[in-house]
Amino acid sequence: MTNRKRLSSTQTPSQSRDEDDDPTFTQPSTSQVQRGLERLSTAQVDQRAAEVVQYILMKDQKKVPVRRTDLVKHVVKDYRNIYPEIMKRAARSFDQVFGLKLVEIDTKNHMYILINKLEYTEAASSISSPTNPKRALLFVILSVVFMKGGVVRENLIWNTLKKLRVDPGEKHEEFGDVKKLVTDEFVRQRYLEYVRIPHTEPIEYEFHWGQRADAEVSRAKILQFMGQLHEQDPQSWTQQYREAHSSPSSAQPSTSSQR
Amino acid sequence: MRKSRGGGEEEAPRQNGATGRRRGSQLQSDGVDGDSAIGPSDLQDDENDMGLRREIRSKYRDLISSVQQNREDMLSPSNNKLTDVLEHANRLFKDVRQTREAALDAQLLVVATDLGKEKASQLFAEGNAFDTATFAEHLLSFMGLNRLEDEEDEQQNERGADGYLPQDAWHRLARRTECCFRTAPTFHYMMGSFHAEPPPPKQRIERQRKVPSAEAKRIMPTQLKKMEESHQEATEKEVERILGYLKSYHQDDPTSPISYYEFVIDPNSFSRTVENIFHTSFLIRDGLARMYLDSDELPCIAPIEEEEEVAAAESSNRKQCIVSISPKTWKELIDVFEITDTMIQPATAEDE
Repeated sequence: MTNRKRLSSTQTPSQSRDEDDDPTFTQPSTSQVQRGLERLSTAQVDQRAAEVVQYILMKDQKKVPVRRTDLVKHVVKDYRNIYPEIMKRAARSFDQVFGLKLVEIDTKNHMYILINKLEYTEAASSISSPTNPKRALLFVILSVVFMKGGVVRENLIWNTLKKLRVDPGEKHEEFGDVKKLVTDEFVRQRYLEYVRIPHTEPIEYEFHWGQRADAEVSRAKILQFMGQLHEQDPQSWTQQYREAHSSPSSAQPSTSSQR
Repeated sequence: MRKSRGGGEEEAPRQNGATGRRRGSQLQSDGVDGDSAIGPSDLQDDENDMGLRREIRSKYRDLISSVQQNREDMLSPSNNKLTDVLEHANRLFKDVRQTREAALDAQLLVVATDLGKEKASQLFAEGNAFDTATFAEHLLSFMGLNRLEDEEDEQQNERGADGYLPQDAWHRLARRTECCFRTAPTFHYMMGSFHAEPPPPKQRIERQRKVPSAEAKRIMPTQLKKMEESHQEATEKEVERILGYLKSYHQDDPTSPISYYEFVIDPNSFSRTVENIFHTSFLIRDGLARMYLDSDELPCIAPIEEEEEVAAAESSNRKQCIVSISPKTWKELIDVFEITDTMIQPATAEDE
């Protein structure tokens, strides 16, 4: 404990295991936040929180998760001792002003994403943005992985895409370099995980859902669309149906920052 | 073929009888070997035996690669391709006699087992199995695929050979599937009329400028060092050259002293005179030459003989003096000593 005090930070027990990988930042304790807040005016704290909001909004354009390390380094800076309070206010502002939810998708590496809090409506979508065809490609991959039980060899994905006239080896007029889009961009955005299968010769990879997909994509809705496509009752895929409707993580992602 | 014959003779003499018999029966049963001529002699048998071994190996390899390539098709529950493959492998195995073929058979077994495992996992899936081929077909229909041919040509369709997807196919699918995503709308200024990108490039330019200058700094000292080195070498050469002159003049007439100024001064060039003085000083320093004053109190120079050299180097109590010269004194010296020609030929002139 004395050691930690010398470093001017103490850790809450629940977080202590997460801190090892982030030497630049240690989570301040509640009492420290309290003390830090006493020295600052509300306006100062709100100002910094607003900057955090702006930073995350800008970062969200590329849909790559925002890392806490970057957030502290570029925006929070000398206010890091009251970091939890700033994040709380930023999350509140996302929630109440923008209708977005700030989600920490990776509690180990501390990464944040924004997801839409509002229910999807036909009218809203047409205003917000033009349709993104990449989204459809992502949907195909995610649904194959989901329907195949969560893990799928890359070959199956490439073969399915080939049937849809998308060849990972060729440049697609809509997606460009398909292989790069799928294994790099979607992976960086945390929609997909692209993992090497151990002990395979030649080397093979498999796809999982990424953390962003878990938070952002509704398995139930995918299954519903599957039912519509196959002209079947979604419930006929018993296992998938159970998974889509039981796992709270997909339906309601937990927010760490608001608690 | 000739090479292999030698190997075959060594490896498989014991199998001769067996292979011969077996081939006979095989020819009757399925005619696999039909086009390779079967001679009556044992030698020919061996040759054919190697051919057969090769054929088996290549068939195994084909089988393995076809399984790997058609993996997804073989997985689909609607066909018996895996059984076909296994039966085919069984037929091949009848002729397996050597380790290499057996190893290939084992390899095929690994591949087939892997397929079997995946097939089994399909069985475990409760309720409806999910078939990606059907899924893809449904998606194509949804995206508005314009099928040129009817369903008969489905196999061709699967290869993506025909059927025409409308321009907005993927947009259509994106629109429908949007509801599955709870993606936050991306932030943009005024519906994208402003792009928030310009500042970064400026920074880059500054950085690029800094980098070469740092590199240039790093390069400078190394260049200087090199120059110094080469200069050093040049000096050494020059010193040796002058020593050569000094010795040859001394040998020409060992009794008469060589006047230092006459030796050093180049009446045509002040700068070369300075250089000569500089280089001569090395001779003195290294104990290869000595300077002394003659009866007229004028400086003279003489080389030190080799026997003297060692003694001189040991016993020399070093003395230093500074020779100064200016263009004015240089001219005076030329006049006084009546120097008309240089005793030390310039280096370049000598080279030519």
